[in-house]
Amino acid sequence: MTGTGEQVLFWVLGPISVLAALGLLFAKKAVHAAIGMALVMINLGVFYIANQADFLGIIQIFVYTGAVMMLFLFVLMLVGVDSSDSLVETLKGQKVASLLLALGLAVMVFLAIGKVAFPPMKGLDSVNAGTGNVTGVANLIFGQYVWVFEITSALLITAALGAMVLAHRERIGERPSQRTWSERRIRENRNVAGLPAPGVYARHNAVDTPALLPDGTPSQLSVSRVLSAREQVITPVRHVESEHDIEHEIEEGRDR
Amino acid sequence: MTNPYVPLLFLLAIGGGFAVFSVFAASIAGPKRYNRAKLDAYECGIEPTPQAAGGGLRVPIKYYLTAMLFIIFDIESVFLYPFAVAFNQLGLFALVEMVLFIITVFVAYAYVWRRGGLEWD
Amino acid sequence: MSSLAFAAEAVTGIPHLAAAVPGADNPHADFSDTPWWLSLVKALLVFVFLLVNTLVVIWFERRVIGRMQQRPGPNRTGPFGLLQTLADGIKLALKEDLTPKNADKVVFALAPMIAGAMAFVSFAIIPMGPMVSMFGHRTPLQLTDTPVAVLLVLAVAGVGVYGIVLAGWSSGSTYPLLGGLRSTAQVISYEIAMGLALVAIFLYSGSMSTSQIVYSQRDLWYILPAFFSFLVYVVTMVGETNRLPFDLAEGEGELTGGFHTEYSSLKFAMFFLGEYVNMFTVSALATTMFLGGWQAPPGIAAINDGMFNHGWWGLLWFVIKLWLFMFFFVWLRGSLPRVRYDQFMRFGWKFLIPVTLAWVVAVAFIRGAQLGYFGNSSVGLAGREFPVATLIIVGLIAALALAVTWVWEGKQAEKQAAAEAQLPEEIDPFAGGYPVPPLPGQRLREPSLAIEKESNRA
Repeated sequence: MTGTGEQVLFWVLGPISVLAALGLLFAKKAVHAAIGMALVMINLGVFYIANQADFLGIIQIFVYTGAVMMLFLFVLMLVGVDSSDSLVETLKGQKVASLLLALGLAVMVFLAIGKVAFPPMKGLDSVNAGTGNVTGVANLIFGQYVWVFEITSALLITAALGAMVLAHRERIGERPSQRTWSERRIRENRNVAGLPAPGVYARHNAVDTPALLPDGTPSQLSVSRVLSAREQVITPVRHVESEHDIEHEIEEGRDR
Repeated sequence: MTNPYVPLLFLLAIGGGFAVFSVFAASIAGPKRYNRAKLDAYECGIEPTPQAAGGGLRVPIKYYLTAMLFIIFDIESVFLYPFAVAFNQLGLFALVEMVLFIITVFVAYAYVWRRGGLEWD
Repeated sequence: MSSLAFAAEAVTGIPHLAAAVPGADNPHADFSDTPWWLSLVKALLVFVFLLVNTLVVIWFERRVIGRMQQRPGPNRTGPFGLLQTLADGIKLALKEDLTPKNADKVVFALAPMIAGAMAFVSFAIIPMGPMVSMFGHRTPLQLTDTPVAVLLVLAVAGVGVYGIVLAGWSSGSTYPLLGGLRSTAQVISYEIAMGLALVAIFLYSGSMSTSQIVYSQRDLWYILPAFFSFLVYVVTMVGETNRLPFDLAEGEGELTGGFHTEYSSLKFAMFFLGEYVNMFTVSALATTMFLGGWQAPPGIAAINDGMFNHGWWGLLWFVIKLWLFMFFFVWLRGSLPRVRYDQFMRFGWKFLIPVTLAWVVAVAFIRGAQLGYFGNSSVGLAGREFPVATLIIVGLIAALALAVTWVWEGKQAEKQAAAEAQLPEEIDPFAGGYPVPPLPGQRLREPSLAIEKESNRA
C-alpha cells in the first residue's frame, strides 16, 4: 500500500504536472512552454524520490532540469520563436495523420494499461536499508547493464559530433586582433587616431548621437554602423522637440 | 521522522514564502511615480534596441554548443557518482569499464577541441 | 599519530576507511528521535542563521575591503556600522518597483523568486554539528540527510540557474539577456569541474551522504588525500557563485548590471541575497567535504578525550571554517582584477575539466590499489608495511605527471625559442629624411655603427 504522505503528494503534484504539461502545449510564448516542461521534469524527479528511488530522482532533476532544459531554453532564445511564424503546412495532411496516429496510440496504451495486473508491491525498503540506494544502482549499471552503459559513451560521441556539425562555424584564417586593426589604420593612413567620438549635448550624450562637424552637419563616422542600420541614430532636433514632453511627464508623475 | 525529504520541503516553503512575500511587498511598499523614460529598457542612454514580437532577441549559437557539451560531461559525471560510491564493492572489473568509458567520451572531447569548438571569441 | 605516520597514511592507504560495510552509503546521522515539529524549528533556525550571516557578511565584506583599500568602510549605522546592511535592505524595500515596458511580466516576477527560494534549500543537508539535545530530543545539528545529499546541492544549483537565465530573458532588454546567458554558460561550465572534483571524495568516503562523509573524516581530513580536488573545488566555487575575479556576468564596463540590470527594489535584493546565500552554501559544502565538517581541528580534537568534538562545540568549529572561506571570498575580491571571458571559459574547458578527470582516474587507481584490486603483497620499510601495488600506482602517476609537465614545458620553450628566433628586420631610421621610431618587428640600425660605416666609406 502507498502511504498517506505519498498519496497527498501525488494528488497535489499530479494536477500541477498535468497543468504544466498542458501549458507546454498551449503556451503562446515558447519560453513559457519550456518553463512548463521544466516544472514537469522537477515533478517527475519528486515522484521518483517519493517512490524511494533517491538517486534516480535527483539525477532526473540534475540532468533534465539542469542540463537538457537549459539546452532547450538556449535553443528557443537562439531561434527567437514567435507567434508571427508561418503556419502554412508544408506536408499535406500531416495534421490529420498525426492526430489519427496519436489517437491510435492513446487507445492502445489505455487498453494495455487496463489489462495489466500488478504483482504485490515490493518497494525498495530492504534494498535501501541493506545494500544502499546508490550502491544498488551501481551494482546494476556495472553488472547487469554494463553493455548498455558502455554504449552510452558512443551516444555521447554522436551528440558531440552532431552539435559540432550543426552549431560550429569553422574559422578560416586568423581573426583580426586589436593590433591588426591598429596597424591597418596606420598603413592606410585613414582615421589614424580612431573614429571621431559621438556628440555630447546638454540633454543627451549617448553613442547614438552624431557629433557635429565644423560646418554644422552631423558626422556619420561618429556613430556605429550597426546603429545606423537599425535606424537608432538620433538627430539633435528631436531633443528640442521632446523637451516639452519630458517635462510634462515629470510634472504628471509628481501629481499621482 | 521517517522521510528525510520532509524537512527539505519545510526549508523550501520557508525560503519560498520569504521570496514570494518580498517580491509582492516590494510592489506595495515602494512609491509609484509614472515616467515613460523610466520604463524603457536601459541601454546606456540610447533608444532601446527594437525587439521582435514575443521577446525574440537572438543570441549567439555558441551557447548551444556549450550547453550540449555541458550535457555530455554532466552525463559522464552522473555515471561516475554511483561508481565512486560503490567502488569498494565493485572490484577491478568496474574500474576497467569506467576507464574505457572515460576514454571513449574523451574521444568526443578531443574531437571538439581539435575542431575549435572550445574556442571562445 | 605522529605527523610522519599521518603523511605516510595519506599517501599509501587509509585502511580503516576501506571497510566495505553493506549500506555504507546511507546517512550516518540518526534522525530517529526527531519529530516533525523539531524539523520545522530546525528549518526555521537554518533560515535565520543564513539571513543573519548574510547581513553580517555584507558588512564584513565592505569593512574588510575598506581596510584593504586604506579606508574605514561603513561605520555610521549602529555599532561599528553593523546595521548598515539592514538599513540598505530597508532602503531597497522603499524604492520604486519597476517593471520595464518590454518585460514579460509574469516571468519577470518569477525569476527573483526562484533565485531567492532555491538559494536556501541546499543548506538543509549541511551537517553543522554532532548530536545535541534540543527540547528533550537527541537530534543531530543538521536539518536532514539523504544518501544523495551532495548531488542534491548540485541539482538545486541547476534549478537556481533558471532564476538567472529567466531574469535575463524576461527583462526584454539587451544587456540583461547577454548577462544572463553569460552567467548561465559560466555556471554550467564550472559545475562540471566541481562535480568531477567531488567524485574523488566519494571514492574515499564511499557515500554521498554529508553526515557519512564527515564521519569518515574523523581521522584524516580529505583535504590531504584529495588536495587537488580541493584546489579545483575552490576555483569552481568562485566561478559558480559569479564572484570576483569571475563576476563576468556583471562586468560593469561591458554589461552594466548583467542579468539584473532592469531589476529594482526588493526584486533586486532577492538576487543579491541569493548570491550571498549561495556563497555560504558552497563554502559549507567545502567545509563538509574537505575540512572535516564540524569536527575540531586535529590538535584540539585530542584534548580531554575528544571533549571538543561533542555537543554544541561542533557548531563553533563549523562556523569558524565557514567564515574562513567567506574571508577568502572577500580577500579575492579585494586583490584580483576581473578575468576576460574567453580566458575564463578556456581555463574551465581546456584545463579544469580534463585535468580533474585525469585526477579522478588517478584517485580511482590509488583506491583500487588500497583495496587490494592489484594484489596484496607489501614490503616492510622503516618498520612500516607499504603495499606494493599502491607504491607502484603512485609512482606511475607521479612519473606520468612529470612526463606531461616535461613535454608541455618543452613545447612552451620551443614556442618561445621560435618567437625569439626571428631577428627583427633592421631599418635605417633616417631613410625617409627625418627620424622615425621602429614599427613592431623592426629594430633600428645602431646609429654609431651607421656613422662609422659612412665615415669609412668616405
